[in-house]
Amino acid sequence: MPTQEGFNHFDLMLWLAGLGVTLSVFLISSVFGCLLGTLMAIGRYYQVAVIGPLLFAIGEVLRNSPVIVQLFLVYFGIPMFFGIRITQFDAAILVLTANTAAFMSVVGLSALESVDREQVLTARSFALDEMDILRRILAPQALIVALPLTIGVLVNQAQVTSLISVIGVADLTRVGHILNQKTFEPFIVWPVIGATYLVISLAISALGKHLQKRVKMSGPLANQKETFAFD
Amino acid sequence: MSFLSDIGPFIPALWDGFLTTAAVSAASILGSFVVGTALAVVATYGGRIAAMAATIYIEAFRNISFLVLIFFFYFGLPELGIFISAFWTGVLVLSLAVGAYVADAISAGLTNVQGGVKDAATAFGLTTAQRIRLLELPLALRVSLRPLGSLFVNLILTTSILSTITLNELTNAAKIIASTTFRPFEVYFLLLILYSILTYLCSVIVHRMHVRANRFLAT
Amino acid sequence: MIKLTDVRKSYAGKVVLDGIDLAVQAGEVVSILGGSGAGKSTIVNCINGLVAPDSGSVLLDEFSVANRKGLREIRKKCATVFQNFNLYPHLTNIENITLAPVRVLGVEPKNALADAHDLLHSVGLNEHADKYPAQLSGGQKQRIGICRALAMSPDYLLLDEITSSLDPEMTAEVVDVLKLLVDKGMTMILVTHELNVARSISSRIVFLEAGRILVDVHRDVFFSDAFLDENRRIKSFIASANGL
Ligand SMILES: Nc1ncnc2c1ncn2[C@@H]1O[C@H](COP(=O)(O)OP(=O)(O)OP(=O)(O)O)[C@@H](O)[C@H]1O
Ligand SMILES: [Mg+2]
Repeated sequence: MPTQEGFNHFDLMLWLAGLGVTLSVFLISSVFGCLLGTLMAIGRYYQVAVIGPLLFAIGEVLRNSPVIVQLFLVYFGIPMFFGIRITQFDAAILVLTANTAAFMSVVGLSALESVDREQVLTARSFALDEMDILRRILAPQALIVALPLTIGVLVNQAQVTSLISVIGVADLTRVGHILNQKTFEPFIVWPVIGATYLVISLAISALGKHLQKRVKMSGPLANQKETFAFD
Repeated sequence: MSFLSDIGPFIPALWDGFLTTAAVSAASILGSFVVGTALAVVATYGGRIAAMAATIYIEAFRNISFLVLIFFFYFGLPELGIFISAFWTGVLVLSLAVGAYVADAISAGLTNVQGGVKDAATAFGLTTAQRIRLLELPLALRVSLRPLGSLFVNLILTTSILSTITLNELTNAAKIIASTTFRPFEVYFLLLILYSILTYLCSVIVHRMHVRANRFLAT
Repeated sequence: MIKLTDVRKSYAGKVVLDGIDLAVQAGEVVSILGGSGAGKSTIVNCINGLVAPDSGSVLLDEFSVANRKGLREIRKKCATVFQNFNLYPHLTNIENITLAPVRVLGVEPKNALADAHDLLHSVGLNEHADKYPAQLSGGQKQRIGICRALAMSPDYLLLDEITSSLDPEMTAEVVDVLKLLVDKGMTMILVTHELNVARSISSRIVFLEAGRILVDVHRDVFFSDAFLDENRRIKSFIASANGL
């Protein structure tokens, strides 16, 4: 039997620290990823030349390759190739932001395209400028479509954050690894870590459902049944 | 020295890694399909309690990070006196985890086809089991093919995570090459492209299958 | 004045407008008739700038759709009502009406609201101001569509088959509103399939076939027996339209 140290109160601190890292990486990459992804979607929707298709192609590669390889590429590859330094945390943020953006650009584009094209043409015929059309016609309608899809992306990205432990970021999963090696109690450590992720995901879903309900109650969808009754 | 001459000697190793990735993917696709179908059938036909159990299973596996699941089994199984290779640990966990998503996709298909088919089949005197096996499941699969395809493409990408439990698949092979050649950027970039091509090919195959399977449904 | 000169448009080699010359003076109400696919909507959308002609000129007063500034001015002066209403579903009816006046004309929101309420009142939809379009019947939706256009205080109105998706009763509601506008001297181009509508409110009839204007005559001439005996194609068009 290996020597077992058992748990002590420092482990709880460790867990909290890991949770903090996981949450901050998740929040930062989600905020920037959603923003960037939305911009990408808008660029694609308005068929901005060169940069639109280019960003989308990059997104395609990001969505079709393993995040672990992307992390290796950025953390080990970029410093070696370009001779610049990059911290583990920055590499993690960079990769996860880009990933979230890649998925959100798809969500955003399909949400924008779900808005009837006639709406845009009508607004144009009233001399509304493109900024106004985007803000007041497209965005509010696209948002309703995008919201549930976004929640799905974010729940998934919360799980994906665990991969940053492979480049040494001291996140929740890394903490699990450390505690596992210290205590040799996989049946305590991993269920606790797993439950933490579960709670994070469920919290995101719950928040999303709440938002969705509010959007629906205040908007025209509150009366969707009547739509069908008339049309 | 050029990248190509640097990497040349490692091509056999990369090929071996690729074969392992292919093998672990194939086995896990099969496994997750079995797990998912079983779960979907239980959830759809098994009554309230069974359906609830299936839902809990699905929610749990969808909302826990795969890396955590893999570590749980990789470090946990030996404690129970079960010693299986990294390969089979990977297949086991991928089957269980992706199975949860597969179950969702097939359930959606099943709920979709039930109605009319059910009455017609019952009228022909099929037993419930026959009806599910011969009619509803095949029809549901046809509808679910596309979502299943993207799940399996995702599964292939997820096999890269097995590099963390020392499985010598594509990513792990690349890791070794990167550290030996001191060309991590080129190696990982190449790997990124390789995976993209691989998943792209898979999507094309799925698309073809979808078109074929649904050719009678064309409107 | 709206003036189209030798306007041409084709889609992928298919000629849709084949040299349109059309002038509409202030105060006139012109109906455009013609079979499905004749190019009626395309003419309307060339005027409001939703379709760019391949060649020819489209002028509204002194402005041209060909340049950005002109187009913007034209869109301010000339409002369109659409066959399928095209109301913004996420906005309330009154918000549908006030959006463009506030954002484009710079009307104070308070004043825009007051104006919108007046308009709603005039079409009998006052109590529906804060509902959403989805809660209205087709005829009510189209009256909101008309209010939305009128809220721009336009000099010209383009009405593209605005009663086609309505049943006779709702059509009557909308036509009543149009008659009020005629009385006020509004300049209108009206695309319609309904001969009665064309007959009851327009001063001139333009008959379109395969992207060309076949005839452009006074309403009374168009519906006279002598004219119809001369123009067999139009006679059969009218016969089939009445048959429907
Ligand atoms: N964006 C487009 N792309 C290709 N073809 C088009 C487009 N818009 C219109 N057309 C074609 O141009 C022709 C004229 O269309 P238009 O909508 O002007 O007809 P219309 O007279 O309004 O017919 P309807 O009575 O059915 O509304 C049709 O054959 C139509 O298919
Ligand atoms: Mg038309």
